[in-house]
Amino acid sequence: MWPNIRPSGDSAILVEFENRIDPEVNRAVRALNLAINSENLPEIKEVVPAYRALMVTYDPLEIEYHDLKGKIKHWMEETRKINLPASRLFRLPTVYGGTYGPDLQRVAEVTHLSPEEVIRLFSETRFMVYFIGFICGLAYLGGLPEILRVSRLATPRTLVPAGSVGLAGGQANAISTDQPSGFNYIGRTFVNLYDPHIFPPVPFLSGDEIQFVPVAEEEASKAKGRPATDFL
Amino acid sequence: MKAFEVLNPGVFTAVQDLGRPGYMKYGTPASGVADRFSAQVANSLVGNPPGAALLEITLFRLELLVLNDSVIAVTGGDLSPTLNGNPLPMWQTFPVNKGNRIAFRMRKQGFRAYLAVQGGLSGKEFLGSRSVFVRGLMGNVLQTGEILESGNPVTQSIVLKKMPQEMVPAFSDKNPLRVILGPQEDRFTPKGIETFLSSEYRVSPQSDRMGYRLQGPTIEHSRGADIISEPIARGAIQVPGDGLPIILLWDGQVSGGYTKIANVISADLDHLAQVMPGDRIHFMAVSLEEAHQALREERGRWGRGQLAMLKMT
Repeated sequence: MWPNIRPSGDSAILVEFENRIDPEVNRAVRALNLAINSENLPEIKEVVPAYRALMVTYDPLEIEYHDLKGKIKHWMEETRKINLPASRLFRLPTVYGGTYGPDLQRVAEVTHLSPEEVIRLFSETRFMVYFIGFICGLAYLGGLPEILRVSRLATPRTLVPAGSVGLAGGQANAISTDQPSGFNYIGRTFVNLYDPHIFPPVPFLSGDEIQFVPVAEEEASKAKGRPATDFL
Repeated sequence: MKAFEVLNPGVFTAVQDLGRPGYMKYGTPASGVADRFSAQVANSLVGNPPGAALLEITLFRLELLVLNDSVIAVTGGDLSPTLNGNPLPMWQTFPVNKGNRIAFRMRKQGFRAYLAVQGGLSGKEFLGSRSVFVRGLMGNVLQTGEILESGNPVTQSIVLKKMPQEMVPAFSDKNPLRVILGPQEDRFTPKGIETFLSSEYRVSPQSDRMGYRLQGPTIEHSRGADIISEPIARGAIQVPGDGLPIILLWDGQVSGGYTKIANVISADLDHLAQVMPGDRIHFMAVSLEEAHQALREERGRWGRGQLAMLKMT
C-alpha cells in the first residue's frame, strides 16, 4: 500500500508514506526530499515535506504527470543510499510559567504533576522538527513525553504572542509570529523564530532538534531578537 | 520616482507581482496576483515586463493622487475607475498627469482590478518578490497618505495600446469551476461526493486571498475529517468536520490536517479571482488530462492576448 503516489490538483504530486507520525517514516520523507532537491530539475517548482507525505509541485506543460511519477519512483529507490545530514540541536532559552506560560498550572492539574515536574519533563525533551509549515514557518515538533499529552483548548485564543512555547495532543510548538492558537502555552522564548527580511526566514530544517532550556526572565530577555542559530 | 499618494486605501488594496514560489518548505505560500491574465495584460499595456509589481484592487473606494506625469493601465474586474471624476477606459494604455485623481467608485463586474504604472511599482522585496502577504509580515495593504514609488521605465517612448474587446474576459459567465477530485476523495461517502458536485455554493463573507469559505449543503465524510497534516496545493478544497468546503488560494496556509475532496484546476484560478463573496459557484470534475489541456489553452490565451494588443492611433 505505501508509499503511494497520487495527484494533488493538476500541478502537484503527493507522495505518501505510512500513515503515522513517526521519526522513521519522516526519515523516508526527508530522504526523498533530499534526493529530489539534488536533481534540481527545472520542471519541478517546489518540494514540500511534511510528517508522512511529500508534495512536489511541477509545471504540467513542462513535464507530464506520468513521467514525473516515474522519476519519483526511481528516486525513491535511490534514497536507500542517501545519508541524511546530521541534525542540529538548538537550545533556546525559555521562561516558564507566570504571564509567559498561562496554561502551566492547568497542564499540571490535568497531568497530575507539579508545575516544576511539567517544566522538567518538557525542558529535558529534545523535540524533533518534523517539518515547517502552516503559515509563517511554524515548526511541527514531535517527541513530547506521553505523560504530557493534554488536549487542545476548547476555545482557541485569538492571539498568542510569538515565541510562546506550548503543547497539545501529543505535539509541541513554538509560535513563530503572533497568531491564534488552541495549544496550551507553558513558556516563552524571545529568540527570533521567523524573519521575512532574511533568507532563510526560518532557522530550522526538518530533522533538527530543539530543547527549551529553562532560564530566568532576565536571561531569557537577553535573547530578544537574536537569531535561533546563535543558540546551536 | 514618486508615482501616487494614497488618498483612500479602499477596501483592500495591495502591491502584488507574480509571487514567490519556492518557499512553501519555510511555511510561506507563493502569494502573487490572483488574476494573472489581467495583471500581465496591465503590465504589457504600459511597457512593463508581465511580472512587474502593480496594484491589486479589491472592490472599491481606492483613491489615488498622481504625483508625476506617467502612463497607466487598468484591467481586471470593472470597479468603475475614474480620472478626475470621468470614466477611465480600461484595458488600454492611458496617460495621466500630475494632480490627476484616480478613483474606483463601484463594483460593476468581477472583484479585483489591476492598476499598472510605467516602470512598475518599486518598494521592498521579501524573498525575491514584492507581493504583499500580510499574515507573513511581508508588507501591508495600502494606508492613507502612503506614497507609492515607481521604478525607471524600461523604455522612454511608450506605445499606446488597447486590448480588443473580444479578448477582454467576461467575468459574469456562469461556467462551473473545474476540479480534479482528491487527494482524499476516498474519505467521503458517494453521497458526499454527489453533494459536492451537484450543489450550488455561495462564497461566504469570510473569504479573502487566503481562502474562500463556501456556504451550502454539507458534505458527508466516510471516516472523519482529520488527516495527519500534509502540504496543501493552491486551489485545494478542504472539508473540515462541519462539512462546508473551503478553497485555499493565493495566501493560503501551506499545510493542514483536513481532508481535501478536490482541487480547482490551474486554468480556472483567474476566474475564481473575480468571484466575490455572495456569488454562487458550482463544481465539475474533470480528468488530469483535461485539466492540463485547459491549462495549455489558458496559457495560449495570454499568448494571443499579447499579440492582440493593438496600437492606438
